[in-house]
Amino acid sequence: MTDERAALFEAPDDLDAINRLYRAQRWSDGLPVVPPTVERIGRMLEVTQRARHEVVARIAPGFGAATVERIAINAVLAGCDPEYLPLLLAAVEGMAAPEFNLQAIQATTNPVAVWVIVNGPAAGVLGVNSGMNCLGQGAWANATIGRAVRLILQNVGRAWPGEMDRATQGQPGKYTFCCAENETANPWEPLHFERGFARDCSTVTVVGAEGTLNMNTHSKDADELLRIIAETLVHPPSNEYCHGGEPWIMLAPEHADILKGAGLTKRDVKRALWERSRMPARHMSVKDLLRTRESRRAELGEIGPDTLLPIAKRADDIGLMVAGGAGTHSVYIPCFGNSRAVTREVDAGER
Amino acid sequence: MTVCSTAFTTLGRAQAASLGNASLPIAVIPHPFGARSRDEVRAIADKCVDEIARAAGVAVAA
Repeated sequence: MTDERAALFEAPDDLDAINRLYRAQRWSDGLPVVPPTVERIGRMLEVTQRARHEVVARIAPGFGAATVERIAINAVLAGCDPEYLPLLLAAVEGMAAPEFNLQAIQATTNPVAVWVIVNGPAAGVLGVNSGMNCLGQGAWANATIGRAVRLILQNVGRAWPGEMDRATQGQPGKYTFCCAENETANPWEPLHFERGFARDCSTVTVVGAEGTLNMNTHSKDADELLRIIAETLVHPPSNEYCHGGEPWIMLAPEHADILKGAGLTKRDVKRALWERSRMPARHMSVKDLLRTRESRRAELGEIGPDTLLPIAKRADDIGLMVAGGAGTHSVYIPCFGNSRAVTREVDAGER
Repeated sequence: MTVCSTAFTTLGRAQAASLGNASLPIAVIPHPFGARSRDEVRAIADKCVDEIARAAGVAVAA
């Protein structure tokens, strides 16, 4: 299908001129880009055996065809190493899964970014940071993989800010939001194994994430730690309480060790957080309570002011992973509400 | 036939075009919508219903 092949533009061999073109056409995220020359795209495509014009997915809300070639072009723009391409192919497949609800994520007024979590050997091989400052600056893979995902969402999905991307403010994670799980420091099974994949395979998990909230506690007591985290989740203007969401907790290794040391499994932690984060419905505004009644009636029946709302439909819907370095900081990552994380295996056949 | 509040008209038109239906009739109502009371929503509906019905090809009594 010729309309799904990328157009070829003649441009002067001048970085400033090319960036002026990208700026004028809104093909960038607001930062300078790496020019996607024929040669660079060719090098990117060399790492995959998938056909150049294969449609990996269609990206809402514009439903542009995310071909392997177009994904590679946006990867070049973002500054990715060619070896990152298989991760991006898996991320695109994940984002297009119906339960991820990309249409809503892309077009909502909410500040939803796509958080990319890498598990398995690929994280180490490609240098995806899972340790200190894993959500901050400094790691080429984290920065450029997350950026490429954003450029694909914008350029292929056609979600330009103020047009089909209707975010009221957005959030910094919409530039880039990628890390790996710190499997070495995780005292439990890794995220991808919990989600049904072999330990030795590499996966990408995509999450519709609304931001990050630092939970700094020096507590060394598991029960107290669970109480502190559960109470942090409780906030009335929450999409998760409104719809029954999928809150994510990024545990610092030190906090994970405390919980594991108390004999708790990941499932125990999720159950405890789910039970202890129930919020009286009266904490919500009147309008939000009406919305919650409509959204959760089938799940909870009639909701009154004294109903204790669980943050998620099921305890197992709480996302739990371990990342970061030394320190007493875990992170609450609120989810969009009507979205579920999706994990896809990075194609082991990729060269 | 789609009903959009003013703040979402750009999205509605762009998405209709992306899906190959650029001429999709879109009825535009004032934004914000979600924060209005039921009575206010009814008043908007009363004001718009004939126009929306005509745009959808439904005969409306004069």
